Amino acid sequence: MSNATAIFQADGVVKKFGDLRAVHNVTMAIPRGEIYGLVGPSGAGKTTLIRMLSGLAAPTSGSVKLLGSLMPIDRRVVEHRFGYMPQERAVYRDLSIAENLLFFGQIYGMTRSRIAERTRELLSLMKLSDRCKQRADRLSGGEKQRLSLACALLHEPEALLLDEPTIGLDPALRREFWGHFHQLNSAGRTILLSTHYLNEAEWCDRVGLMQHGGLIAAGTPNELKAQAAKHSGQASLDMEEVFLILTQEPVAGGVS
Amino acid sequence: MKLHRISAVTERVLRQIWHDKRVLVFMLMLPAIAMLLFGYSFSGDITDVRIAFIDEDNTDLTESILESLQQDQAFKVTVLETVDDPEQLLLSEHYQAVIRLPDKFTSLYYAHFAMGVATSAQGTIDLTLDESDPQVAATIRMGLADAMMDLGEGGPVDIQARELYGVEVRFIDSFAPAIMGFVVSLISIVLTLLSIVREKVDGTFSRIWVSPVRRAEFILGYVISFGLIALVQSLVVLTIGKTVFDIVINGSIFWAFGCTILFAVGSVGLGTLLSALAQTESQAIIFFPLVILPSVLLSGMMWPVQAIPRLLRPLTYIVPLTYSNRLLRAVMVKGLAPWQEPVGFIGVLVFVVLTIALASVVLRQSAGERE
Repeated sequence: MSNATAIFQADGVVKKFGDLRAVHNVTMAIPRGEIYGLVGPSGAGKTTLIRMLSGLAAPTSGSVKLLGSLMPIDRRVVEHRFGYMPQERAVYRDLSIAENLLFFGQIYGMTRSRIAERTRELLSLMKLSDRCKQRADRLSGGEKQRLSLACALLHEPEALLLDEPTIGLDPALRREFWGHFHQLNSAGRTILLSTHYLNEAEWCDRVGLMQHGGLIAAGTPNELKAQAAKHSGQASLDMEEVFLILTQEPVAGGVS
Repeated sequence: MKLHRISAVTERVLRQIWHDKRVLVFMLMLPAIAMLLFGYSFSGDITDVRIAFIDEDNTDLTESILESLQQDQAFKVTVLETVDDPEQLLLSEHYQAVIRLPDKFTSLYYAHFAMGVATSAQGTIDLTLDESDPQVAATIRMGLADAMMDLGEGGPVDIQARELYGVEVRFIDSFAPAIMGFVVSLISIVLTLLSIVREKVDGTFSRIWVSPVRRAEFILGYVISFGLIALVQSLVVLTIGKTVFDIVINGSIFWAFGCTILFAVGSVGLGTLLSALAQTESQAIIFFPLVILPSVLLSGMMWPVQAIPRLLRPLTYIVPLTYSNRLLRAVMVKGLAPWQEPVGFIGVLVFVVLTIALASVVLRQSAGERE
């Protein structure tokens, strides 16, 4: 699959940690303008795949491309053009919101005035404007997560790698986050994110189901539903049922 | 290599320290407390040693020996008329020494002096000494020898001493450079170590390594922050040293600052290096005594390297502070240029180059196994 317009691309990617196969033979291509969701349980390999796409880890075999550049070798070419939100909230807990944004802006070569401008924009978007001088370790979980997202968006990247951006958020805040994602998407950003909330899969353009390091199914939410329906003979499935059918686990048993 | 990225890291590290008032106070108080505590308690100048002095001869000569002893700040001299049993006196009255100048001391002293080796009769000083504290005992012996030397031209020997490196160097004078090196390296190592382990734990490292920041820029950012902090700490040590203890600084203050900052750079490297061995902050804390103990015990800070048992002495050469002590003492007490103390200077340089190079390798690993 050598799609020239792919923003995120993986070809036969394998990642091993010793004997452990964290990612196994994943091939995918995400074109510009899409919201792509990696869905699967913890330990499925989502984070490792995202780290390889960001250039933080090298694949054991296969190749990974971001914005057409081979990662991690050519990461210098594209480092200004993508934003990454790690699973840990990844902000300096002893710095204020404004100081966190200042630092992450400065290392991307932004001027102080531009950083101030973007900080105002992002903090009003994230409803954090009045918390600007608050130290990060005094913020609630949700506020910290909004700051973390703001740090990834600060330098206006065209591609976004978001690792579990909504983890631990209450349903209302998760919907708010998804509002941001769709807004960013309609402004031309391509987004690859991971989640283990299966209902969030419905809100993606396309979904990849991961299990045990492998990509076991991929397609639009409706395509996956159709596939699962064909498999099981049941109609009108929700994403949770789709996941359970496609990962060939028994639906019965009160899985939450 | 971009300046704005280096300064971004520096600014961030300094902001973090500024926000944590406990760290800030610790950073500034440590050099002050170390100077005052060590300066007062380990000043090395022994005082108030109780001595009983019995003069059975009562001549000008014995009088002048007594005067010399009384002028010596180390002693508190009690003059007694007679003594039956000096040992008993020492035990019962808790004197640390009983000095008795017997009858005819003066005449025998002069007779021996006049007739040279021909006569066997010599003036004798009867010294009863409490040896339980060898340092105190040595002070008494030295004080007594000094008193004899003070007899000057009348005495059998005239020692002509040339005291190098200016005025009499006291313990505190050579201690200040050691405190400077110790405090600066301790703060740099500990804060760098904790800061980098935190970056790993909190995940901010991932953000840095996907950004345009290069490893060299990251290290330089830290080096500049702690170089500045080292400068402030040196100022605290020197200010207290000068105002409270009136320490002698024979050398150039700029060399002193330069060498301290150089040592801080190596310490940042060492802190970065140690960060590779710790995954959490509590693991990092394990390294603190490993850094502090050898520095205090084996670097020649508290006592000279020559006082360390031969078996352990090779270890002193792997303690970085040993070289810093030699270098800073040469620069501050002896007034030399750094290269005039080659062992210390090269030792510190090797420390810097080695730790920074290895730190760079270590960061490559934390940055992901990508290269």
